[in-house]
This record gives sequence, C-alpha cells and structure tokens, in this order.
Amino acid sequence: MPTNQFLESASVIETREVAAQTFLTEFSSPKIAAAVKPGQFVMLSFPNTLDPLLPRAFSVCETKGDRVILFYVAVGKGTTRLSKMQHAEKVVLNGPLGTGFPELSRGEKVWIAVGGSGAAVLPIIISAANNSGASPTAFYGARTKNQLMQFNHIRIEFATDDGSAGFHGTVVELLKDKMHDSRPDKIFACGPTPMLASVQREFQDKIRTYISVETPMACGMGLCQGCPVKRKDGTGYYLACKDGPVFDARVIELAAGAV
Amino acid sequence: MKTNLRVRIGNLELKNPLMTASGTSGYGDELGDYFDVSTLGAIVSKSLTLKPKIGNEPPRVTEVACGMLNSIGLANIGVERFISEKLSKLKGSGATIIANIAAKRAEDYLSLAEMLSDRADIQGLEINLSCPNVKEGGIEFGSDPKMLGTITRLARNAFPRTLLVKLTPNVTRISELAKAAEGEGADGVTVANTYVGMAIDIYKRAPKIHTITGGLSGPAIKPLTMAKVYEVRKSVNIPIVASGGVFTWQDVIEYLIAGASAVEIGTVLFAKPNVPEELLIGIENYLSSSNLENISELIASLRTGIDRAPTH
Repeated sequence: MPTNQFLESASVIETREVAAQTFLTEFSSPKIAAAVKPGQFVMLSFPNTLDPLLPRAFSVCETKGDRVILFYVAVGKGTTRLSKMQHAEKVVLNGPLGTGFPELSRGEKVWIAVGGSGAAVLPIIISAANNSGASPTAFYGARTKNQLMQFNHIRIEFATDDGSAGFHGTVVELLKDKMHDSRPDKIFACGPTPMLASVQREFQDKIRTYISVETPMACGMGLCQGCPVKRKDGTGYYLACKDGPVFDARVIELAAGAV
Repeated sequence: MKTNLRVRIGNLELKNPLMTASGTSGYGDELGDYFDVSTLGAIVSKSLTLKPKIGNEPPRVTEVACGMLNSIGLANIGVERFISEKLSKLKGSGATIIANIAAKRAEDYLSLAEMLSDRADIQGLEINLSCPNVKEGGIEFGSDPKMLGTITRLARNAFPRTLLVKLTPNVTRISELAKAAEGEGADGVTVANTYVGMAIDIYKRAPKIHTITGGLSGPAIKPLTMAKVYEVRKSVNIPIVASGGVFTWQDVIEYLIAGASAVEIGTVLFAKPNVPEELLIGIENYLSSSNLENISELIASLRTGIDRAPTH
C-alpha cells in the first residue's frame, strides 16, 4: 500500500529559545518536510530511552527545503528534553499524521487565531495561504508580552491579557473587535482548549471555523484509540489523531470548562 | 546457520513468536504503513464486541514512569463491521489473524465465537476476560475460575481453530485460572492483561484518566508478568503467550526462557510502529550466536539449578 507517512531518524540542526520557555527546533527530515500539510503533526520520540516512554505530538510549524521546524513551549518532560538537544543529536519523527486545515483558494480571506504552543501552526498556514493566493491575517494571544514570538516575515496582530503588547484582552476579543470592520471567509484556530472553546462559541454559527484540538495522545496513528474528541451529534467520538486534529468547529464538543 | 523461528499454539503454526497485543494495533490496517505485517507471527485484533462500542470519555491515556495507563473502554466497530470492512484488507496483507473478543454476558461470547468460526481466515480466537476498564464485563469473568471455565467451554465448542484465553494478572493465583482454561480445552493462555493502576494530578487533585483507575502497561510491568509466566508454566502444559512490557528483542528472549511460546507486543508499537523488524533481527542474531537452530529450544529453558522458586 502506498503510504504518505514516514518514520524518519531526524537530526537536530539547532534549537533556539524564542520567547519565555518557548523554543524552535529545526530538524533535517526530508521525507516529512516534503509531505506535511498545514495543521498536520508529527510524533517525536527519543531513541534509546524509556523516559519519556511515549512519543510526543507536535504540529509542524514550518518547513524549509528538507528541514522540519517545530515550535513548542517547554512545559513537560518531553518538551524540556527536546529544548536541550544539541546539533546532530537524533530523534525519531513519525509523520506527517492527521487531518490538517482545509486548503484555501485564491482570494479567500482567512483569519488565523493562535495561542500558546498553538502558535506553531502560523508559519505553515501563512505560507500555504500565500502560495494559493489566499489572504491570511494572523492573530496571536498570550497572557503577557514575553510569551509572544515574532515570526520572521509574518505580520501578526498581538493580544495580551495584561495589555503589555498589542490589543488589551484575549485573542478572541481581538477577533470580535476586528469583525466590526470586516469579516473573513474562514477562521482557523489553534491553542489551549479554553481558547478554542471560546472561538467555537463566538464564531461557529457565523463563519466557517476550523479548530485544531489539543488532547493527550499515545500513538498518533489510531492504534490506541486514546485521543477521543466528542462528536456533537451524540454518536460517540472522533479520534484527534486521524479525524483531526483539525475539525470543523460545528461537529465537535469540547470538554466543558476544560482545564 | 539458518534459524527456525516457528512456534506452535494448538493447530496454528506461527512463522515466529511475535504477535501484536489486542488493542494496540487497531485492526491491523494502520501498521501496514510502517512494516510488512505478514512478517509477524500473528496480528491480534482489538477486542471485538457484538455491538459497536464508543468507548470511555477522555482522558483515556496517561504516561507514568516506564509505563502508560489506559482506559479505552473497548472502543471498537463491532464484530459485524470487522468482518465486512476490515477482514479482507487484513487478509490481503498476508497477516495471520487472531480475533480478540469481549462481552459482558456468557451467551455473547458464544455468539461471537460462532460468528467468527465461519471465517476460515480467522485462524485463532483470543478471549478477553480481563479488561479492567469496563464496569460490567471483563474482570468478573476473568478472576473467577468457574466463570472463566464456562466461557472457555462455550468458545471451545463453537470455534474449531486455535483458542487462546487471555488472563488477568489482577488475581492472587493466576495459575488457577490457567488450569481452568486448560481444563476446558483452551489451546493456550495469554499471560497477561494490564495491571490495575492509578495516577493523580496533584495540582487538580484529580485522576489523570477519566475512569480513575486504568490498565498499566509498558516496561514497568515486565518483571511482574515474567513472574506470572513462570508461575503458569509450572502449572499447565498448554502454550503460553506472554504479554507485558516487551520493548526489546532481549525481552522476547527472556519471556521465552521463562516459559512462553510466543510474545505479544503492545505499548512499544506506539513509540516504534516498525519495531517488529528490529526485534526479529535481534532474535535471529541471538539464536545464531547461541548456536540454537530452533527457537523452540529456548522455551521454558530457565536454568534454576535446583527448584528453588518460593511458593507464593
């Protein structure tokens, strides 16, 4: 069976701290770099160790030639370890996995709202949108200024809870504010579950809205069935790893008061 | 030297001792993206139930030290859709197929065994009596030798090919259950399912998985299951399929020496979906360097000198 998924031994090119606790790691991973689409993810595992035991999921941030770039906030065991990896050290990447954001067409206006490690998807979406002649606008929210990352060549409208940079308020409030003047054809969102729930609540009935969910995942391939996302029609669950991580906001129910 | 990796369970000859553990390889179709599944001894399906099951609420999985806790709740498409949608594709991949079944009533086990017995491409049946996740089923059947014996007999009468009974390790004496399975005609026992475990988020003071407790798998449980395999080996004569924490080829060899004829791999597939390739190479190299022609020479070859195992 022809496959578009690869297990690739990937060497670290470099890791940079780009904001508070926030890193970019660049890998040489030619097969995955050539195949990945916006919103798809990779499972990253550390060879020759049982700690961490399971691979970690990362949305791909950007590709450059044969390089795959990951963006993440170092909060747990896996991300902390990754943030300390040196040039030429190796990981195993499994991907690209999952269903990403829909393709955009020429002239289509898309607003991209991100927060936290969800900011990872901005560069890859913007670059695909530009290639297809769509018109993307990026919105990026954080609690405070030093958590924000300025990606090269991307114009971003920032929002901070404490008003230390850009709009004073959440990224969703910023989007609502902008809606007074114009409306996009689509909204793409990626970030913490409370933010996604708020995006879903505010926009799903007005604008085609797609959200990339964050959920614990063990395998990323549909083997374990460990990453269910509740279907709004009450018939059970989707799997974040295969049916998602990107869903039409109207078809899923995010955990109420998700923490 | 040409090594022979073939092992036998009932009438089923496996080309090598590697099997997948139920619930860790879907219906076999996803793994085909990573390696040739026909190189496995057998693929064991997810637990199939009479009706489809949506499974438990999230979170269903969490990592713990050298292991993982899961509580999937037997999410599966049901036996009918497995037969109509998955079986021919799996068969086409050249895999040897063992169907795993689960139910909450004895008569449902019988119905499942009957439905699957008609399909000659299903070469084996593995009965799940030990999934610790589902409130109504599993644990009661699996921890009581009488109930286990009843289900085994029903399945044995309905299913003519290789029959495995998967045992729960969450009992005082697993060998009593193995004897009950052997007594009612099982061709082998799978030792064992996951261990009941629990993990708490201390900041939320909440369980890390929705069902509070779940099944512990991974390298953390390997020594525990090793002891169970050894205990069962001394109690029954039917083949044992070891299942618990295999990550390396050395783990496979260790289980064979302890008394297993075959080994199921599970959690490791999540991190390394193509791991069977390196396990098979490691096993072959070990046999060659040990001057062993047949892998079966390893089975239950533990050298204890004298029988100094403590009585538990």
